[in-house]
Amino acid sequence: MSDNIYLPELARITHIKEEIGGERSIKTYRVEPVEGAAFEHECGQCAMLSLFGRGEMMISIASSPLIKEYKQFSIMRVGRVSAAFHELEVGEVVGIRGPYGNSFPLDDWRGKNLVFIGGGVGLAPIWPLITTALAQRADFNNITVFYGARSASDLMYKAELDHMRSNADIQLSVDKAEPGWKEFCGFVPANVLDKKPSPDNTIAITCGPPIMIKFVIQNLQKLGFADEQIYTTIENKMKCGLGKCGRCNVGKDYVCTKGPVYSWAQLKELPEEY
Amino acid sequence: MEKILAKNKLDDWVAALSDWQVSAPIMEDDIWSYKASKGKVQLEHSNTVQPPKGFSFPQREVFFSFEQIKGQPPRLTPIQPKAARHAVFGVRPCDGAGAVRMDTVFNDQFQDNYYQARRSNVAYVGLACNKPQGINCFCQSVGGSPVSSQGMDVLMTDLGDRYYVAAVTETGKALMTAGGKVFGEPSADDKKKLKQTHADALAQPQRAINNVDAVPAKLKASFDSPLWEELARACIGCGACTFLCPTCHCFDINDENTSSSPLRGNRVRTWDNCQFPDFTMHTSGHNPRENQGARLRQRVNHKFQYFHENFGMSQCTGCGRCITECSVGVDIVNVVNKVTEHVG
Amino acid sequence: MINLQDMRDTARNMLAKNEVRGVIGYRRSTNGMLAEPVVITKPEQADELIWDPTCFHNLSLYLVEDRKFLAHTRAKADLPIAIIAKGCDARSTVVLMQENYFERKDVYIIGVSCEGTGVLDERKLVKKGIRATNSAFDGDDFVFTTEQGEQRIPAREVMADRCLECRECFPKEHNIVLGEDKTGRQLDAPFTALKRFEELDPAARWEFWDHQFERCIRCFACRSVCPMCYCDECIVDSTSFPVTGQTTADEKANRVKWIERSATRAENMTYHMTRVLHLAGRCIDCNECERVCPVNIPLRLLNNKMEREAREQFGYEPGASIGGPSLTASFLDTDPGKFIR
Repeated sequence: MSDNIYLPELARITHIKEEIGGERSIKTYRVEPVEGAAFEHECGQCAMLSLFGRGEMMISIASSPLIKEYKQFSIMRVGRVSAAFHELEVGEVVGIRGPYGNSFPLDDWRGKNLVFIGGGVGLAPIWPLITTALAQRADFNNITVFYGARSASDLMYKAELDHMRSNADIQLSVDKAEPGWKEFCGFVPANVLDKKPSPDNTIAITCGPPIMIKFVIQNLQKLGFADEQIYTTIENKMKCGLGKCGRCNVGKDYVCTKGPVYSWAQLKELPEEY
Repeated sequence: MEKILAKNKLDDWVAALSDWQVSAPIMEDDIWSYKASKGKVQLEHSNTVQPPKGFSFPQREVFFSFEQIKGQPPRLTPIQPKAARHAVFGVRPCDGAGAVRMDTVFNDQFQDNYYQARRSNVAYVGLACNKPQGINCFCQSVGGSPVSSQGMDVLMTDLGDRYYVAAVTETGKALMTAGGKVFGEPSADDKKKLKQTHADALAQPQRAINNVDAVPAKLKASFDSPLWEELARACIGCGACTFLCPTCHCFDINDENTSSSPLRGNRVRTWDNCQFPDFTMHTSGHNPRENQGARLRQRVNHKFQYFHENFGMSQCTGCGRCITECSVGVDIVNVVNKVTEHVG
Repeated sequence: MINLQDMRDTARNMLAKNEVRGVIGYRRSTNGMLAEPVVITKPEQADELIWDPTCFHNLSLYLVEDRKFLAHTRAKADLPIAIIAKGCDARSTVVLMQENYFERKDVYIIGVSCEGTGVLDERKLVKKGIRATNSAFDGDDFVFTTEQGEQRIPAREVMADRCLECRECFPKEHNIVLGEDKTGRQLDAPFTALKRFEELDPAARWEFWDHQFERCIRCFACRSVCPMCYCDECIVDSTSFPVTGQTTADEKANRVKWIERSATRAENMTYHMTRVLHLAGRCIDCNECERVCPVNIPLRLLNNKMEREAREQFGYEPGASIGGPSLTASFLDTDPGKFIR
């Protein structure tokens, strides 16, 4: 199979968890290969998921590379394939090919402080990084996770985040005040500015809606973060994942092979085509 | 291996290629296109409307078929492209150069075995252009030449009543060896004439991209130029320029279902086109290339900047089809010149 | 004869007096002798305008583009936009107004009469082996500049088929008009090409279309160039569904895929059949679709067939008047067939 780059491997859904309900609901899926071992991946990489008869979609792998037996994906119901995915049940078989793209240079960050800043479903692409860093907690200094969504019911991975509180500084936020909410009210970038993480020996990693990323980066710069200390992961429409179908490029880079992970120092050199 | 072939012996050579399917340019429906030769090959064509890229990158390629009976896992059956050996006659040097670009894309990092299975069975028997094929030729501006053997297996040159035939690859040698006695040995005079013909061909006037070496950097500096929008004003956003381009490789992948219960269908690759508005549209509706100016910039920059930065060569091979076939005058030579002339 | 200076002066004056936002016209392209569409917005650009036998484009397409641009940018246009319109272009502008795509006051029509010579069919010229660098109208002739010098050819020998059969080479709907009204100077009877084709038996016609649709590459040039194909959403490509932030996942998920992307004969045929049906009573025979087809599919035969059906069955003439009924949204008591009553 491996010499056919377009042929997916079959994978069985072993676990489904509804993170968020509603029209644009988010569900988290665990898939395991039907035969053999799953491919290895690194933090930040993506995979192409197939629903035969519907098509393919590129989704970031949301589980840590340390977990070998399954891969996890958090999928928002937004389009043709993802809506059909949401109809699936445990035990059903889908297609998967990958891993695609580059990854976060986590090894270079050992001994440093890590600040994660996620918004909405944008927590999923940096989740492998968060969970891997926490699994290797002794290798890192302070770990802070900023995460926000429109409302409390739009926050994903809520239970997992609560579990992390003993090991990391978890800073949650909702866009607008609501009854019972005791943490920060306002947009994620504002929360970052409010808590003022120190740039000293720190790497900040952010993912979320483009507008959020933009203001997060601005605020990090205000706090003294250098461009090389800020990382993000971007997305574009993709069909092949292999740098051939020609649609996900940002300037000369195909996001599927050269991305999706960029430091702001790298990304600001590319045209704003994402 | 270099030989002489009398023009009236061309069909004998083709007949000798019994192990090969032979295609050549044929005028049908008032256009030149590559068709099965049916034993007769006449090389008096101006360039074909469609380049020969379809021989290794057909507009539609089935990757695999799928079948799923309810309650059971899906069954996938990969489809291997039929791999008959194919000799394509009359390929012009711009299209030979195009094949090199396509090979680069489909072998870079991940090898595309659908492309490769076809490509490895296609031999290009090129024909040098003694004169430009049309008013929009500009191969010499993009590192090519009207007598280039780049991407060819054999290169033929028209010397009046005879062709000078030179093998470029081992496959080319095999094709010529199969012809056996139809070929003669080139005389000193033939060689002299070849040299002269090539020199004359190179001296023919063509359209030109100004200061071509500086183009990639200048385009990079012109990303935000308001000229893109202006130059794309007449563009109707169709796919003629890219579908007829010898090096445009963008594609789409879709599932085409033939039955819903049980679920049956094919996963299919089809050509796609960066000039279509939805090419880059995200599921959310956000579109990184929202207007036709941004899409024209992508087509031009891909050819003249990005490909250059990634692979060290221009992706455009100067065939001029996108100019000739554009119904509203969008002209890649003019666009590149206009955009870059304002940059210091 | 149209005096080019009149055209340029008209455009210049209107722009200088701020009477229009722009003038959609023709200028010399960089692709040989051909004209290309242009929108000029400054008086000094008026001298770029040209008028010659290669001005075959139906510029009303750019009225549609202009409308779409305004809608997209939520801009308001205080002034009308002017358009150089031949008889056929004016008729398609009328159809667009009939369909309320824009209002009469939004457009200033600078009519140009083809005066019976029509415009060039480039392919006919190529077939004659003529490589020209310039072309001009001159009475009943086209005059071409070639390497061998000036070549004068009777227009009817290289004129587009639609022009040979044109019943209205004069733009009836106009604000001002250049050139003489020579209506009635039609050279071939209407539907001549269609009649010739219909002499074939059904099997031969089927074989003909089979062959034609086989080679369609679905570049959609025919659709993109057509002023009547203005829909934001087109059934032929599942992906051009206009998605906005408000589009729901359900809408995207449940969208019917009518036609596959594969350019196979069956899919191509469905595409072209759908298109021609959508053009019934709307196509005014500018024949841009056939002109722009890179693989020469004779689409005019299909459009003509629809046009003739509408004329023979309902006495319908597309693009006749802005206030007039549209073919598919109206009926007459005298309509043949009883299903409507």
